Amino acid sequence: MRPILDLAREKLKGKRVFAVLSGKGGVGKSIVAAFWAMALPKSALIDLDLFNMSTVKLFGVEKLHEVDKEGIKPFEVDGVKFFSLGGIVGDRWVVLPGANEGGVAEALLAFADLAGVENVVVDMPPGTGEVLLTLARATPFTPIVVTTPSRAAVSVVRRLMDYLQEQSIAPEVLVVNMAYLMCKGEKIRPFGWPKELEDLKSRVKRVLELPLDPSLEDYIGNLAKYRGEVFQAVKKFVEYV
Amino acid sequence: MHEYSLAFSIVQSVDKWAREMGVYVKRVVVSVPSVAMLDLDILQEAYDMLKRESRLENSKLEVRVKSPTFKCRRCGYTFTDRETPLEEVRRKYGEEYPLHLIPELAPTFIRCPKCGSNDIEADLSIKVEEVETA
Repeated sequence: MRPILDLAREKLKGKRVFAVLSGKGGVGKSIVAAFWAMALPKSALIDLDLFNMSTVKLFGVEKLHEVDKEGIKPFEVDGVKFFSLGGIVGDRWVVLPGANEGGVAEALLAFADLAGVENVVVDMPPGTGEVLLTLARATPFTPIVVTTPSRAAVSVVRRLMDYLQEQSIAPEVLVVNMAYLMCKGEKIRPFGWPKELEDLKSRVKRVLELPLDPSLEDYIGNLAKYRGEVFQAVKKFVEYV
Repeated sequence: MHEYSLAFSIVQSVDKWAREMGVYVKRVVVSVPSVAMLDLDILQEAYDMLKRESRLENSKLEVRVKSPTFKCRRCGYTFTDRETPLEEVRRKYGEEYPLHLIPELAPTFIRCPKCGSNDIEADLSIKVEEVETA
Protein backbone atom coordinates (compact mmCIF):
# COMPACT_ATOMS: atom_id res chain seq x y z
CA MET A 1 0.00 0.00 0.00
CA ARG A 2 1.34 3.43 -0.93
CA PRO A 3 -0.90 6.03 0.68
CA ILE A 4 0.89 9.10 -0.69
CA LEU A 5 0.84 7.78 -4.26
CA ASP A 6 -2.81 6.76 -3.86
CA LEU A 7 -3.63 10.27 -2.67
CA ALA A 8 -1.81 11.79 -5.66
CA ARG A 9 -3.82 9.56 -8.00
CA GLU A 10 -7.08 10.51 -6.31
CA LYS A 11 -6.24 14.23 -6.40
CA LEU A 12 -5.54 14.15 -10.13
CA LYS A 13 -8.38 11.85 -11.12
CA GLY A 14 -10.82 13.55 -13.50
CA LYS A 15 -8.50 16.50 -14.10
CA ARG A 16 -6.78 17.27 -17.37
CA VAL A 17 -3.04 17.09 -16.76
CA PHE A 18 -0.58 18.71 -19.18
CA ALA A 19 3.10 17.89 -18.69
CA VAL A 20 5.45 20.46 -20.20
CA LEU A 21 8.52 18.46 -21.12
CA SER A 22 11.79 18.63 -22.93
CA GLY A 23 14.80 16.40 -23.13
CA LYS A 24 16.89 19.57 -22.96
CA GLY A 25 17.26 22.16 -20.22
CA GLY A 26 17.07 25.88 -20.91
CA VAL A 27 14.56 25.74 -23.76
CA GLY A 28 11.90 27.69 -21.86
CA LYS A 29 9.72 24.96 -20.36
CA SER A 30 8.91 26.96 -17.26
CA ILE A 31 7.78 30.01 -19.23
CA VAL A 32 5.70 27.86 -21.58
CA ALA A 33 4.18 25.98 -18.60
CA ALA A 34 3.37 29.25 -16.85
CA PHE A 35 1.68 30.74 -19.93
CA TRP A 36 -0.17 27.47 -20.58
CA ALA A 37 -1.60 27.64 -17.05
CA MET A 38 -2.40 31.35 -17.44
CA ALA A 39 -4.25 30.64 -20.69
CA LEU A 40 -6.41 27.82 -19.34
CA PRO A 41 -9.49 28.31 -17.17
CA LYS A 42 -9.63 26.79 -13.66
CA SER A 43 -5.98 25.86 -13.82
CA ALA A 44 -3.07 25.31 -11.48
CA LEU A 45 0.62 25.03 -12.23
CA ILE A 46 2.73 22.48 -10.34
CA ASP A 47 6.47 23.02 -10.60
CA LEU A 48 8.17 19.62 -10.44
CA ASP A 49 11.54 20.92 -11.58
CA LEU A 50 12.75 20.17 -8.06
CA PHE A 51 16.29 21.48 -8.36
CA ASN A 52 15.52 24.73 -10.15
CA MET A 53 12.11 25.76 -8.79
CA SER A 54 12.03 28.66 -11.22
CA THR A 55 8.28 29.24 -10.93
CA VAL A 56 8.59 31.14 -7.66
CA LYS A 57 11.23 33.35 -9.27
CA LEU A 58 9.15 33.91 -12.41
CA PHE A 59 6.12 35.02 -10.40
CA GLY A 60 8.14 36.87 -7.76
CA VAL A 61 7.02 34.91 -4.72
CA GLU A 62 9.33 34.86 -1.72
CA LYS A 63 7.16 33.37 1.01
CA LEU A 64 6.39 29.77 1.93
CA HIS A 65 3.22 27.83 1.15
CA GLU A 66 0.52 27.80 3.81
CA VAL A 67 -0.71 24.37 4.81
CA ASP A 68 -4.10 23.52 6.25
CA LYS A 69 -6.30 20.45 6.65
CA GLU A 70 -6.86 20.26 2.88
CA GLY A 71 -3.15 20.31 2.09
CA ILE A 72 -0.69 22.78 0.59
CA LYS A 73 -2.46 26.01 -0.39
CA PRO A 74 -1.46 27.34 -3.80
CA PHE A 75 0.28 30.65 -4.27
CA GLU A 76 -2.04 32.96 -6.17
CA VAL A 77 -0.63 35.82 -8.20
CA ASP A 78 -3.10 37.79 -10.33
CA GLY A 79 -5.36 34.75 -10.54
CA VAL A 80 -2.59 32.26 -11.40
CA LYS A 81 -2.44 29.38 -8.91
CA PHE A 82 0.78 27.50 -8.51
CA PHE A 83 2.75 25.14 -6.28
CA SER A 84 6.50 24.84 -6.00
CA LEU A 85 9.07 23.17 -3.82
CA GLY A 86 10.49 26.68 -3.54
CA GLY A 87 7.44 27.42 -1.41
CA ILE A 88 8.47 24.63 0.96
CA VAL A 89 12.24 24.97 1.29
CA GLY A 90 12.48 28.69 0.52
CA ASP A 91 15.30 30.27 -1.43
CA ARG A 92 17.97 27.60 -1.00
CA TRP A 93 19.53 24.79 -2.94
CA VAL A 94 17.99 21.33 -3.05
CA VAL A 95 20.11 18.19 -3.22
CA LEU A 96 18.44 14.80 -3.40
CA PRO A 97 19.65 11.29 -4.13
CA GLY A 98 17.67 9.80 -7.01
CA ALA A 99 15.66 7.55 -4.70
CA ASN A 100 14.27 10.59 -2.85
CA GLU A 101 13.24 12.55 -5.95
CA GLY A 102 10.18 10.40 -6.58
CA GLY A 103 9.01 10.72 -2.98
CA VAL A 104 9.28 14.50 -3.10
CA ALA A 105 7.45 14.75 -6.44
CA GLU A 106 4.76 12.35 -5.23
CA ALA A 107 4.24 14.39 -2.07
CA LEU A 108 3.87 17.64 -4.03
CA LEU A 109 1.24 16.05 -6.27
CA ALA A 110 -0.54 14.39 -3.34
CA PHE A 111 -0.68 17.33 -0.94
CA ALA A 112 -1.39 20.17 -3.40
CA ASP A 113 -4.83 21.54 -2.63
CA LEU A 114 -6.47 21.39 -6.07
CA ALA A 115 -9.98 22.35 -5.01
CA GLY A 116 -11.82 23.95 -7.94
CA VAL A 117 -9.00 23.12 -10.37
CA GLU A 118 -9.86 21.32 -13.62
CA ASN A 119 -6.62 21.78 -15.58
CA VAL A 120 -3.25 20.96 -14.06
CA VAL A 121 -0.10 22.07 -15.86
CA VAL A 122 3.10 20.41 -14.67
CA ASP A 123 6.44 22.08 -15.25
CA MET A 124 8.78 19.11 -15.61
CA PRO A 125 12.55 18.91 -15.17
CA PRO A 126 14.61 18.25 -18.30
CA GLY A 127 15.22 14.68 -19.29
CA THR A 128 13.64 11.33 -18.61
CA GLY A 129 14.46 10.82 -14.96
CA GLU A 130 12.58 9.87 -11.82
CA VAL A 131 10.10 12.76 -11.90
CA LEU A 132 8.77 11.71 -15.30
CA LEU A 133 8.33 8.17 -14.01
CA THR A 134 6.60 9.51 -10.89
CA LEU A 135 4.14 11.58 -12.88
CA ALA A 136 3.33 8.58 -15.06
CA ARG A 137 2.70 6.49 -11.92
CA ALA A 138 0.32 9.11 -10.59
CA THR A 139 -1.75 10.10 -13.60
CA PRO A 140 -2.28 9.93 -17.34
CA PHE A 141 -1.06 13.16 -18.93
CA THR A 142 -0.94 15.06 -22.19
CA PRO A 143 2.68 15.79 -23.10
CA ILE A 144 3.55 19.25 -24.38
CA VAL A 145 7.07 18.95 -25.78
CA VAL A 146 9.22 22.06 -25.94
CA THR A 147 12.32 22.63 -28.04
CA THR A 148 14.21 25.52 -29.56
CA PRO A 149 15.35 25.45 -33.19
CA SER A 150 18.91 24.71 -32.05
CA ARG A 151 20.14 21.36 -33.31
CA ALA A 152 21.56 20.74 -29.83
CA ALA A 153 18.02 20.81 -28.47
CA VAL A 154 16.28 19.11 -31.39
CA SER A 155 18.37 15.93 -31.25
CA VAL A 156 17.75 15.53 -27.50
CA VAL A 157 14.04 16.26 -27.86
CA ARG A 158 13.76 13.65 -30.60
CA ARG A 159 14.91 10.97 -28.16
CA LEU A 160 12.28 12.12 -25.64
CA MET A 161 9.64 11.89 -28.36
CA ASP A 162 10.82 8.38 -29.23
CA TYR A 163 10.44 7.39 -25.59
CA LEU A 164 6.98 8.92 -25.25
CA GLN A 165 5.90 7.21 -28.44
CA GLU A 166 7.08 3.84 -27.12
CA GLN A 167 5.06 4.53 -23.99
CA SER A 168 1.97 5.12 -26.17
CA ILE A 169 1.77 8.78 -25.19
CA ALA A 170 3.13 10.22 -28.41
CA PRO A 171 2.92 14.00 -28.15
CA GLU A 172 0.43 15.78 -30.36
CA VAL A 173 1.84 19.21 -29.66
CA LEU A 174 5.36 20.52 -30.25
CA VAL A 175 6.29 23.97 -29.02
CA VAL A 176 9.23 25.59 -30.80
CA ASN A 177 10.34 28.31 -28.46
CA MET A 178 12.48 31.25 -29.62
CA ALA A 179 11.52 30.23 -33.17
CA TYR A 180 11.65 33.72 -34.67
CA LEU A 181 11.61 37.42 -34.05
CA MET A 182 9.84 40.11 -35.99
CA CYS A 183 12.12 42.76 -37.45
CA LYS A 184 10.61 45.56 -39.57
CA GLY A 185 7.64 43.34 -40.38
CA GLU A 186 9.84 40.47 -41.43
CA LYS A 187 10.12 37.10 -39.68
CA ILE A 188 13.78 36.41 -38.81
CA ARG A 189 14.93 33.03 -37.55
CA PRO A 190 18.03 33.81 -35.46
CA PHE A 191 18.72 30.15 -34.66
CA GLY A 192 17.93 28.87 -38.15
CA TRP A 193 15.53 26.07 -38.89
CA PRO A 194 17.35 22.74 -39.24
CA LYS A 195 16.00 19.84 -41.25
CA GLU A 196 15.86 17.77 -38.05
CA LEU A 197 13.23 20.19 -36.75
CA GLU A 198 11.07 19.57 -39.81
CA ASP A 199 11.31 15.85 -39.00
CA LEU A 200 10.10 16.54 -35.45
CA LYS A 201 7.25 18.70 -36.76
CA SER A 202 6.10 15.89 -39.03
CA ARG A 203 5.58 13.65 -35.99
CA VAL A 204 2.98 15.85 -34.24
CA LYS A 205 -0.47 17.14 -35.09
CA ARG A 206 0.12 20.74 -34.09
CA VAL A 207 3.14 23.01 -33.82
CA LEU A 208 3.26 26.21 -31.81
CA GLU A 209 6.04 28.56 -32.85
CA LEU A 210 6.82 31.14 -30.21
CA PRO A 211 8.61 34.40 -30.96
CA LEU A 212 11.63 35.77 -29.14
CA ASP A 213 10.49 38.77 -27.15
CA PRO A 214 13.34 40.58 -25.37
CA SER A 215 10.79 42.51 -23.27
CA LEU A 216 9.85 39.23 -21.55
CA GLU A 217 12.99 39.58 -19.44
CA ASP A 218 11.47 42.68 -17.83
CA TYR A 219 8.67 40.51 -16.45
CA ILE A 220 10.81 37.94 -14.65
CA GLY A 221 9.48 38.27 -11.13
CA ASN A 222 6.21 39.65 -12.40
CA LEU A 223 5.24 37.12 -15.06
CA ALA A 224 1.52 37.16 -14.33
CA LYS A 225 1.42 40.73 -15.68
CA TYR A 226 3.02 39.87 -19.02
CA ARG A 227 0.56 40.06 -21.89
CA GLY A 228 3.10 40.35 -24.72
CA GLU A 229 3.38 38.40 -27.93
CA VAL A 230 4.69 35.15 -26.43
CA PHE A 231 1.73 34.88 -24.05
CA GLN A 232 -0.70 35.91 -26.78
CA ALA A 233 0.63 33.16 -29.05
CA VAL A 234 0.23 30.54 -26.30
CA LYS A 235 -3.25 31.79 -25.40
CA LYS A 236 -4.47 31.76 -28.98
CA PHE A 237 -3.10 28.26 -29.48
CA VAL A 238 -4.56 26.89 -26.23
CA GLU A 239 -7.96 28.39 -27.03
CA TYR A 240 -7.85 26.93 -30.53
CA VAL A 241 -6.79 23.47 -29.36
CA MET B 1 -2.36 20.54 10.05
CA HIS B 2 -0.51 18.39 7.53
CA GLU B 3 -1.50 15.44 9.75
CA TYR B 4 -5.03 15.68 8.28
CA SER B 5 -3.80 15.16 4.72
CA LEU B 6 -1.67 12.29 5.91
CA ALA B 7 -4.55 10.67 7.82
CA PHE B 8 -6.74 11.13 4.76
CA SER B 9 -4.19 9.33 2.57
CA ILE B 10 -3.99 6.42 5.03
CA VAL B 11 -7.77 6.07 5.43
CA GLN B 12 -8.31 6.33 1.68
CA SER B 13 -5.67 3.71 0.81
CA VAL B 14 -6.72 1.19 3.43
CA ASP B 15 -10.44 1.72 2.74
CA LYS B 16 -9.89 1.13 -0.97
CA TRP B 17 -7.98 -2.06 -0.21
CA ALA B 18 -10.64 -3.25 2.29
CA ARG B 19 -13.43 -2.69 -0.23
CA GLU B 20 -11.53 -4.63 -2.88
CA MET B 21 -10.97 -7.48 -0.42
CA GLY B 22 -14.53 -7.31 0.98
CA VAL B 23 -13.32 -6.93 4.57
CA TYR B 24 -13.65 -4.53 7.51
CA VAL B 25 -10.61 -3.21 9.33
CA LYS B 26 -9.89 -3.51 13.08
CA ARG B 27 -6.38 -2.07 13.36
CA VAL B 28 -3.98 -0.16 11.14
CA VAL B 29 -0.28 0.13 11.93
CA VAL B 30 1.55 2.98 10.27
CA SER B 31 5.22 3.87 10.52
CA VAL B 32 6.39 7.45 10.21
CA PRO B 33 9.97 8.74 10.26
CA SER B 34 10.91 10.71 13.38
CA VAL B 35 12.37 13.49 11.20
CA ALA B 36 8.81 14.44 10.13
CA MET B 37 8.10 15.54 13.72
CA LEU B 38 4.40 14.79 13.29
CA ASP B 39 1.94 15.60 16.06
CA LEU B 40 0.64 12.12 16.83
CA ASP B 41 -2.40 13.42 18.77
CA ILE B 42 -3.54 15.43 15.73
CA LEU B 43 -2.84 12.47 13.44
CA GLN B 44 -4.97 10.26 15.71
CA GLU B 45 -7.75 12.87 15.91
CA ALA B 46 -7.76 13.27 12.13
CA TYR B 47 -7.82 9.51 11.61
CA ASP B 48 -10.78 9.11 14.00
CA MET B 49 -12.67 11.84 12.18
CA LEU B 50 -11.90 10.68 8.65
CA LYS B 51 -12.51 6.95 9.22
CA ARG B 52 -16.27 7.53 9.65
CA GLU B 53 -18.43 5.90 7.01
CA SER B 54 -15.53 3.81 5.75
CA ARG B 55 -14.41 0.21 6.20
CA LEU B 56 -12.16 1.56 8.96
CA GLU B 57 -14.98 3.00 11.08
CA ASN B 58 -14.32 0.66 14.04
CA SER B 59 -10.57 0.53 13.66
CA LYS B 60 -7.73 1.81 15.79
CA LEU B 61 -4.65 3.51 14.45
CA GLU B 62 -1.25 2.58 15.84
CA VAL B 63 1.61 4.84 14.87
CA ARG B 64 5.22 3.69 15.10
CA VAL B 65 7.74 6.50 14.99
CA LYS B 66 10.94 5.20 13.46
CA SER B 67 14.31 6.87 13.88
CA PRO B 68 15.97 6.37 10.54
CA THR B 69 19.53 5.21 10.19
CA PHE B 70 21.29 7.57 7.81
CA LYS B 71 24.09 6.28 5.66
CA CYS B 72 26.53 8.49 3.82
CA ARG B 73 26.92 7.18 0.31
CA ARG B 74 30.26 8.97 -0.06
CA CYS B 75 32.21 7.76 3.00
CA GLY B 76 29.95 5.01 4.34
CA TYR B 77 29.48 6.52 7.82
CA THR B 78 26.16 5.65 9.47
CA PHE B 79 24.44 7.92 11.99
CA THR B 80 21.10 8.70 13.63
CA ASP B 81 19.06 11.89 13.77
CA ARG B 82 20.77 12.81 17.04
CA GLU B 83 23.82 13.69 14.96
CA THR B 84 21.84 15.95 12.60
CA PRO B 85 20.95 19.64 12.82
CA LEU B 86 17.20 18.99 12.43
CA GLU B 87 16.22 20.80 15.63
CA GLU B 88 17.97 23.85 14.25
CA VAL B 89 16.15 23.47 10.90
CA ARG B 90 12.87 23.17 12.79
CA ARG B 91 13.59 26.34 14.78
CA LYS B 92 14.49 28.20 11.59
CA TYR B 93 11.32 27.25 9.67
CA GLY B 94 8.95 27.00 12.65
CA GLU B 95 5.49 25.78 11.63
CA GLU B 96 6.66 25.47 8.03
CA TYR B 97 9.39 22.92 8.78
CA PRO B 98 9.90 21.28 5.34
CA LEU B 99 10.49 17.71 6.55
CA HIS B 100 7.14 17.76 8.31
CA LEU B 101 5.53 17.90 4.86
CA ILE B 102 8.10 15.92 2.90
CA PRO B 103 10.55 13.82 4.97
CA GLU B 104 12.31 12.69 1.78
CA LEU B 105 13.82 16.18 1.63
CA ALA B 106 16.16 15.23 4.49
CA PRO B 107 19.39 15.11 2.39
CA THR B 108 18.85 18.77 1.52
CA PHE B 109 19.19 19.63 5.22
CA ILE B 110 21.39 16.85 6.61
CA ARG B 111 25.08 16.46 6.01
CA CYS B 112 27.28 13.55 6.93
CA PRO B 113 28.86 14.47 10.32
CA LYS B 114 32.09 12.83 9.20
CA CYS B 115 32.74 14.00 5.61
CA GLY B 116 30.15 16.76 5.11
CA SER B 117 28.41 15.19 2.10
CA ASN B 118 24.67 15.56 1.52
CA ASP B 119 24.68 12.26 -0.34
CA ILE B 120 22.69 10.60 2.43
CA GLU B 121 20.36 7.62 2.20
CA ALA B 122 17.71 6.56 4.68
CA ASP B 123 14.23 5.08 4.68
CA LEU B 124 12.08 8.17 5.10
CA SER B 125 8.78 6.99 3.70
CA ILE B 126 5.47 6.80 5.51
CA LYS B 127 4.23 3.23 5.37
CA VAL B 128 1.18 1.18 6.21
CA GLU B 129 2.95 -1.67 8.03
CA GLU B 130 0.03 -3.84 9.07
CA VAL B 131 -3.73 -4.03 8.61
CA GLU B 132 -5.77 -6.27 10.90
CA THR B 133 -9.21 -7.18 9.63
CA ALA B 134 -12.36 -7.90 11.68
